[in-house]
Amino acid sequence: MSQQTLRVTRPTKIELIRLKKRVKVAKRLHKVLKDRLIILTQELIMLIRDAVELRQRICDKVQECESLLIKSTPFIDPSLTESYARTRYGRVEGVVGSRVVAGVRVPLIEVRREGKPRESPEYPILLTLASRCFEELLDLTARLGEVESSITRLGAEVARVKRRVNALENVLIPRMENTIKFLEFKFEEREREDKTRMKKVKQILARKEGTVSASA
Amino acid sequence: MERLLRDELKAVNYMLPKRRKNLRELLNEEYPHVLLRDGSAHMFRHSELRKACEILGNELCGNLLLPIILKMRAELKEMVAEVEDPVAIKLICRILNIDEPESPPLRLYPIHLRILRREIGTLLMYAISFRRTPGEEP
Repeated sequence: MSQQTLRVTRPTKIELIRLKKRVKVAKRLHKVLKDRLIILTQELIMLIRDAVELRQRICDKVQECESLLIKSTPFIDPSLTESYARTRYGRVEGVVGSRVVAGVRVPLIEVRREGKPRESPEYPILLTLASRCFEELLDLTARLGEVESSITRLGAEVARVKRRVNALENVLIPRMENTIKFLEFKFEEREREDKTRMKKVKQILARKEGTVSASA
Repeated sequence: MERLLRDELKAVNYMLPKRRKNLRELLNEEYPHVLLRDGSAHMFRHSELRKACEILGNELCGNLLLPIILKMRAELKEMVAEVEDPVAIKLICRILNIDEPESPPLRLYPIHLRILRREIGTLLMYAISFRRTPGEEP
């Protein structure tokens, strides 16, 4: 924590009042930033957990899908497999949008499929299973993309907000409070000095009055 | 200092929606979204919209305005989010499995927010409210 004080041009009462107001605002700003930091950090931690889980699931899914596809190849011509993959749905589209989390814009990716999947008995069941598996894999990959991109953006914002919170907490607010203490101390000292001076003046005046009355 | 505070509040509150839409309206849209004050759009996940509609039931579906605004009160010492919309309170209480408060607002703590984000993350939006104490200068 900083032990320094702010540079005050003139140690006046107005300056002290102004400084007290600034401390109040700084404390509020610190509270706002801290709340935002909590939200962002929670979101970031959750996203990181999601990313780890998704990566693991994708790894498992790739193995599962590949094995299903390999098992289905003896039963069907490879060109037919490809045409099946192309025509399984009327249309598959990736929707890319964005959403806002505590003032940070993060992406939102969704895979949408039009209509019901074409599953006819002319294709081997293993191929249908493999295609279902690849569909899930595609969804997971899209979600992972969204999560990892969000982590990058939120991470940058967390770093920025954290820097500001730390600056306020450890440098600005303590410095302002130290300056307030210094000014208050200075005013008290000035008051004490004034009192002593007044006493001295009184004594001098009393002494002068005494000598004047004696000579008269 | 004041400028910093203003900028920080703006960063969060400038991204609030211009006009909120109801859940039924959003479910009928191809790309469910609302426009924000900064001119950009906030999209909702279809699956979360459907889940919210299932939880609320068909009757209340048209009454829920989205996104649900979670008001963060900067003057409170703890981090507390408040929800004032009665339909949103109903939805949140059902998700969290807690009793509805007798009168709004419903106060939510970080532990609640974590569950909500997992269930209906895209339906939520944060706003920071900043009430001045009496006698404070603008």
